[in-house]
Amino acid sequence: MLCSIRRWVLGLLVLAMPALALMLGLGACKPRPTLRVLTWADYVDPELLRRFEQRHQCRVLLDVFDSNEAMLARLKAGQRGHDVILPSAYALPALLADDLIEPLDHALLPHLGEVDLSLLPKLPDPPMRHAVPYTLGYAMLAVDAQALPDAQPTWQLMADPRVQGRCTLLDDMRETMGAALKTLGFSLNSRDEAQLAAAGELLLQWRGQIAKFENEAYKAGIDSGEFKLVHGYSGDLWQVAQQNPRLRLILPREGLSMNCDEMVLARGCTQRALAHAFIDFLLEPEVSAQNMQFMGYVCPNKGGLKLVAPAFLKHPALSLEPALRARCEAIEDLGPDLQKYNRVWERVKAGR
Amino acid sequence: MVGGLALLVFLYLPIAVLVLQSFNASRFGGRWQGFSLEWYARLFQHREVMQSLLFSLQLALLTAVGAMVLGTLSALALHQQRGRWRALHLALVTLPTLMPDVLMGLGLLLWLVSLNLPLGLGTLWVAHVTFSLGFVVLCVLGRLQQLDQALGDAARDLGAQGLQLWRRVLLPLLWPGIAAGGLVAFTLSLDDVAVSFFVKGAGESTLPLRVYGMLKMSRELPIINALCSLLWLFSALMLWLASRLWRRKMAH
Repeated sequence: MLCSIRRWVLGLLVLAMPALALMLGLGACKPRPTLRVLTWADYVDPELLRRFEQRHQCRVLLDVFDSNEAMLARLKAGQRGHDVILPSAYALPALLADDLIEPLDHALLPHLGEVDLSLLPKLPDPPMRHAVPYTLGYAMLAVDAQALPDAQPTWQLMADPRVQGRCTLLDDMRETMGAALKTLGFSLNSRDEAQLAAAGELLLQWRGQIAKFENEAYKAGIDSGEFKLVHGYSGDLWQVAQQNPRLRLILPREGLSMNCDEMVLARGCTQRALAHAFIDFLLEPEVSAQNMQFMGYVCPNKGGLKLVAPAFLKHPALSLEPALRARCEAIEDLGPDLQKYNRVWERVKAGR
Repeated sequence: MVGGLALLVFLYLPIAVLVLQSFNASRFGGRWQGFSLEWYARLFQHREVMQSLLFSLQLALLTAVGAMVLGTLSALALHQQRGRWRALHLALVTLPTLMPDVLMGLGLLLWLVSLNLPLGLGTLWVAHVTFSLGFVVLCVLGRLQQLDQALGDAARDLGAQGLQLWRRVLLPLLWPGIAAGGLVAFTLSLDDVAVSFFVKGAGESTLPLRVYGMLKMSRELPIINALCSLLWLFSALMLWLASRLWRRKMAH
């Protein structure tokens, strides 16, 4: 008897499972328009998303990617259905070449004037026909001020014997080769094989010195004191510096790589008005100010930068002198010449 | 003894560090900055992560049910089939369990796109059932082969027919195999990354994809530690419960 009751309970459970799953599914979809945004994780303040949803009686669905290459792979393979994408500027030529984004309607973007183009040298789409700049950042250095109290603002720190085995470089071909090219006084978009080979030699020297190539754990490493010198992104390093007073941010005088993330309309976007409203919302000065303090990245927004807390204005991405800014470059899409970088980078990674 | 202990440390030390870090007030987990429940509070406020958790559970349940039904039917057919066709059938059903996930994901995506199907829960479900089906088939088939053929005949002798035979005799006997297959399907669906990456479409993210996407950019990475700690606690509880039930059953 007991046994049959148990069997009944099991049977009921099996029947109830699809029903339960269906209920969960129904609970999630309400009859409101949905805006589908493809972006980096935690790249918009969730409180602002709630505000946008209330104002426009809609639902914002965030889909995340962890690299531009992964995002491009999905779109190129034929995934459709996103409305707004927030890719890096250097992914724009590829997006345009494969016709994966749509032109913007400037009449629907009244706050477009807030974008401060003077902060952004050499963008791939300056008239903002397809893309509006969202954030701005640099790849730079940070040191432990106790270990290197007299650190000079230069990439040559990577060769300082005091950080032997206690420093990291980004595990990113373009960023790290860019740093070496800049150190040698070349463009970080150089297509010259001799210059690239020289950069490779320099990287091989640095390689003997570093603990590892690292994209993520450098934050925890410099925070704990495990690393004394790290190569990282301005937004990340700024966040660590907020928590750790020993950290000093270094803007190498030879120049830096600048990266900019953009807001674009996805091909086949079904919510055109809502998508424009979303882009325009993020351009509103007050929204922009709150947003940049949440993410730790700077938005090139004239009104927004007037509204942020004074501490935020010490952000390294904002404290660049004009002369140094002129030596900064955006990473460009090099097309087939990228192979030259691949060859040198493989040698560097293999240590040969 | 020492070797066993070393193995346990090797297996569980990373988890212990993860659980410890989930209580660390530091955002970067570099050094201990005091005990804090902040990341647990943030976890439950993080709407996207909670949505993905629910979505993944929903998908895993649907996958388990789909794979159990199809897998059991397929195993029953395989049990009765003989000869060349059986070998082909078995190979076709179990092939997806061996296929590299990336190949399968990309293949499915190209196929689904060429059919012009909207990507979403439906396509994820089809893909997950496809790669977990084989495991259910193998579990149920194993159980069927252990089964005494005479049991079915005896039931028929006693007057059981059709549905009755199935519900009262076969299903209870096969249930451990079906349930084990379903559990495997549930687990596989819950932690799949590669296939889901391709067929998920623009809609909700599954939990592993959400976590993966957060690794590089997130401002709130420690909430992942909190989430993993809770999931780990949950699986440990389930295991403990299952072993208790099992022991009671053996005692009967």
